[in-house]
Amino acid sequence: MNLKKYFIRALHRLQKGPGYTYKELLVWYCDNTNTHGPKRIIKEGPKKKLIWFFLTLLFASLVFWQWGILINTYLSYNVTSSLSIGFKTMKFPAVTVCNANPFKYSEVKHLLKELDRLIEAALERILQPTPGNGSNTSSPPLDLELWHQIPLVLIDEHDKDNPIILDIFESNLAGLSPASVPPQCSHQGSGNCTYRNFTSAAQAVTEWYILQSTSILSRVPLQERIRMGYQAEDMILACLYGAEPCNYKNFTQIYHPDHGNCYIFNWGMDEEALNSSNPGAEFGLKLILDISQQDYIPYLSSAAGARLMLHQQKSFPFLKDQGIYAMAGTETSIGVLVDELERMGYPYSDCTMNGSDVPVKNLYSQYNTSYSIQACLRSCFQNHMIEICGCGHYMFPLPEGVNYCNNEDNPGWAYCYSSLRSSIRHRQICIDSCKETCNDTQYKMTISMADWPSEASEDWIFHILSYERDMSTNVTLDRNGIIKLNIYFQEYNYRTISESAATTIVWLLSSLGGQFGFWMGGSVLCLIEFGEIIIDSLWITVINVISWCKGLKQKRAQARWWRLTPTWASSTRTRVPSPGTRRCPLSPARPHPTTTRCGCSPSTSSGPTAMQKPSERRVTAGCQHCVCVSPAEQSSPLRSN
Amino acid sequence: GPQAPTLSELMRWYCLNTNTHGCRRIVVSRGRLRRFLWILLTLSAVGLILWQCAELLLNYYSASVSVTVQFQKLPFPAVTICNINPYKYSSMKDYLSELDKETKKALETFYGFSEGKSKVRRSVGEWDSAGSDFFKQIPLLKFEDFSKTATDLRSGQKRKIEGSVFHKDSSIVNSGDSNDIIGFQLCDANNSSECALYTFSSGVNAIQEWYKLHYMNIMAQIPLETKEKLSYSADDLLLTCFFDGLSCDKRHFTRFHHPLHGNCYTFNSGENGTVLSTSTGGSEYGLQVVLYIDEADYNPFLVTSTGAKIIVHDQNEYPFIEDIGTEIETAAATSIGMHFTRSRKLSKPYSDCTETGADIPVENLYNKSYSLQICLHSCFQKAMVDSCGCAQYAQPLPAGAEYCNYKKNPNWMYCYYRLHEKFVKEQLGCQQICKDACSFKEWALTTSIAQCLPSVLPLRTDLANLMVFYKDLNERFISENPANTLVILLSNFGGQLGLWMSCSVVCVIEIVEVFFIDSLSIVMRRQWQRAKKWWNDRKRDRSGKAPQAGELERQGHDNPVCIDEDLPTFNTALRLPLPQDSPLPRTPPPNYSTLRLESAFTEQLGTRLDER
Repeated sequence: MNLKKYFIRALHRLQKGPGYTYKELLVWYCDNTNTHGPKRIIKEGPKKKLIWFFLTLLFASLVFWQWGILINTYLSYNVTSSLSIGFKTMKFPAVTVCNANPFKYSEVKHLLKELDRLIEAALERILQPTPGNGSNTSSPPLDLELWHQIPLVLIDEHDKDNPIILDIFESNLAGLSPASVPPQCSHQGSGNCTYRNFTSAAQAVTEWYILQSTSILSRVPLQERIRMGYQAEDMILACLYGAEPCNYKNFTQIYHPDHGNCYIFNWGMDEEALNSSNPGAEFGLKLILDISQQDYIPYLSSAAGARLMLHQQKSFPFLKDQGIYAMAGTETSIGVLVDELERMGYPYSDCTMNGSDVPVKNLYSQYNTSYSIQACLRSCFQNHMIEICGCGHYMFPLPEGVNYCNNEDNPGWAYCYSSLRSSIRHRQICIDSCKETCNDTQYKMTISMADWPSEASEDWIFHILSYERDMSTNVTLDRNGIIKLNIYFQEYNYRTISESAATTIVWLLSSLGGQFGFWMGGSVLCLIEFGEIIIDSLWITVINVISWCKGLKQKRAQARWWRLTPTWASSTRTRVPSPGTRRCPLSPARPHPTTTRCGCSPSTSSGPTAMQKPSERRVTAGCQHCVCVSPAEQSSPLRSN
Repeated sequence: GPQAPTLSELMRWYCLNTNTHGCRRIVVSRGRLRRFLWILLTLSAVGLILWQCAELLLNYYSASVSVTVQFQKLPFPAVTICNINPYKYSSMKDYLSELDKETKKALETFYGFSEGKSKVRRSVGEWDSAGSDFFKQIPLLKFEDFSKTATDLRSGQKRKIEGSVFHKDSSIVNSGDSNDIIGFQLCDANNSSECALYTFSSGVNAIQEWYKLHYMNIMAQIPLETKEKLSYSADDLLLTCFFDGLSCDKRHFTRFHHPLHGNCYTFNSGENGTVLSTSTGGSEYGLQVVLYIDEADYNPFLVTSTGAKIIVHDQNEYPFIEDIGTEIETAAATSIGMHFTRSRKLSKPYSDCTETGADIPVENLYNKSYSLQICLHSCFQKAMVDSCGCAQYAQPLPAGAEYCNYKKNPNWMYCYYRLHEKFVKEQLGCQQICKDACSFKEWALTTSIAQCLPSVLPLRTDLANLMVFYKDLNERFISENPANTLVILLSNFGGQLGLWMSCSVVCVIEIVEVFFIDSLSIVMRRQWQRAKKWWNDRKRDRSGKAPQAGELERQGHDNPVCIDEDLPTFNTALRLPLPQDSPLPRTPPPNYSTLRLESAFTEQLGTRLDER
């Protein structure tokens, strides 16, 4: 009850608006608003009134039009980008080095023996298609089980509509002349067949070999695979960062499916990332690597050298996409420029800060690495692969409880994989669901090479390096297996493109204010005023409706209700005629008390004190003077006495 | 004087008469709730204005970047070419034979290496165990199991190394290394107990560093003219030269002696006042040179790679070959495509860069225009001269200093290494002092390499073919411009003030007037009155005459003439009709009595009367 009472009182307070009819309210508003037009409408003569009315309307619509444009501009979320170049102390990039060859051939020979024999025979067939010329008569029979899973075939496309498909190991290849027919080969899956065409036999054989060896090696446990790869102490012969020595122990080992063991310097996982505050080769990283070319798997990788990549700390190196090769027997100098792109996040551009809002499970998070779009795309592909083919692809990390594909357990995986890979729909799904990162760092490299070691110095250098590697006095290294790398910051080491909002909220508000002020002299408070008037008019409507309802019921009840609002009960009307003035058009005298908006009680509104009361209305000279005093305020001067 | 006698009156007057919107509403509104709401709204509007204007001010110094690409005839940059090997090994024999002998001895002791398989035979003199002081100066040491014993090279004996000596406790070294570690020890010559140990994970690096240290010592003692003679001449290095399709010769090259790379030759150095430019982009119209790299005459320990180094720079810039040079392979054609970018930053207060370097407290030792590299090197050299007493060999000499060598400064190497370590770790303050240059030119290089056919160039392992050219004649100009001007700032201020309160500068002045000047004067007046009253009271207490004075005051106040003096402002301010117009207000007594209650007003009039 108390609450209700209070509520009613609050309503009454609110209701103490400036008028009791719409017209009064409107006139009051026009008279008292702070926007400049309305006052003129009520103050001027009828013609000018009309002009002012239209002018006000015009300016109001102008304001709204301009506001619309401004708000639209703001909501389009444009950005301006700023570009800065210079030198500053920066984190040295993480450097990943790998051998181009994933495993030592001596270690994996026993696993790939069958495959190697098969490919040798196949190559022989391709080169000499006529049977009988083959020299493999003495060798033991080939294990064709591997072959039948994914056979290499020749496709004769002389007749475009009916290409003739021939298995290489089928005997009657005599009719084909290899000069005129490019050997087009394909893999064949079980059940459904798909052909991947190559124009060159070399390409086809390499691809086929990779596919087969992938399948074989995926059965080998990871620990074993790491053991078969190159070890850090064998690969990293010397390391110097700035003036400080470093060795293979400063490198973090990571297993890369393509390149075997890779080693990352300055990954920043356990230790602080190193800073470099000076440009120039003297302050960079100097490495000497041994890639031992004689131990390469012959058909797997045709390039020899070291694969290296510069990337951000705590990011996964996608060597196959972004890595570069360093040639053996050279000193490769890499000047680094850090190219940073700082994007504004949502809503300015559709990028992600840390990948948490991307609907793809990041499989690379098991390496504790940060999100990148490459990681996302690969995880997305692997997830699709597991969903559709039931096993994971060997190149990508596995989620828990899933195995890698191999020919024994998943005989159809190669077909499934290649159809998935060529599926535009699946690729599009991945592209759509992965977002790029907002802060993107690329390392721009200026690469130059010189021969290394020089003829004059190669003796002692090889000697020391082989002594340090295997404590022998014999030179076990040669020019084909050794690489020197210098990685350092250039004179200008950063180029940052950062986005900033073209239109900020401050800009929007000040433009809105500028427009409103310019056309109508208004401010936000005017809008609130307007809102207040609307509330008042609503209240008047409520009163009218209630009174109308009650009027239908009973006249007495209506009268009592009228008495409930004290302002009505006590207000009286006084017209104060001013001599020699024209009639004020806005406060017409009406006989009925409800139409008057002002009541001036003679006893209290007289005297300067009463005139200073806030409820007094400012009226221009020449008009009628009406003073509205509510009973509460009428009593106030008395109270102050 | 103020518009109202008391603070509350002043406030009311202000609210009714000000041009800002909220205030008037506070006074005009009826009902406590409404008034409270309006006070709240007005205050929040004021708060918003302050916040937004602060935001505008803070963002005032932001720059916008414009990138313009224009096609024009570009001036060709200076191209400095050096052989990686600084001096002909054959002619350096007199100076270096001792050192080389010792180095070979070291190799033999540590690694069992002996010359003989070398393709290029060099005369190996008799090894005399005495008479060499290189190892005495800086002994090469080999550590086993990173324990505290080390094998001295010269004597072969093991000696104890104190644990405190290992300064390399830095993050980068993993202790517990099973491999042998090689390094050298540098001791303070004045205080032999202070030693620093420098270790390397590989002997290659250790021996090179060690050799370089001695080499610098030796070279520091050779005068410049001799060194220039010992190095390659233009005829030695440059075999053929074409520029812009026309042949050129050594007259187009300026010799420039680099301490670590010997004689370098700068093409288009602009020394004679003319800067060449290319008419067209493309490899045909660039610089094409064939360099002769005499690989057989290389110093085996100082440089380990073969080739040349080039650097593309502006005519006013110093070429920092050793830091940022591009290497050129022998027996190959290297083509280098250039992209020209010119950048201009705004200096203070937009960013922390320097226009000319004049405002940086580091003397520019290089006779070239300012760059960050120059500043860093000059700063280090200055620190070196200050703390070690001599100058480092790789950098130019400051006035009055000379290069370090053993004989004069036996302590310099220890000092240098300590200093260098501090420099790298940014403890020397150079990186803090030196700033970026505001405007700079940059040539982005794209290198591609092709093998030379043996039949084309018979001496192919000693030749390097180099092409430097503009890929296109587009100049990319990145310039920063102030994003905000004063006009924009002011119009934004105006917008903000207008939006929230419909306020302008005039109303800001009004606020200052009312809230500071007027209210202050009112407060001051009240204080003055109080003091006066107190004084009067005291007087009255003494004399007993004071009450009469009070009566007089009051009477004076009741006199309408006196009121009229002040009231009109009041009435006009309120825009009220003059009291004469209405019959009612002309009944003064109750009002005056209320006025009388407002003591300050009364007092004020009283004082006026008193003053009269």
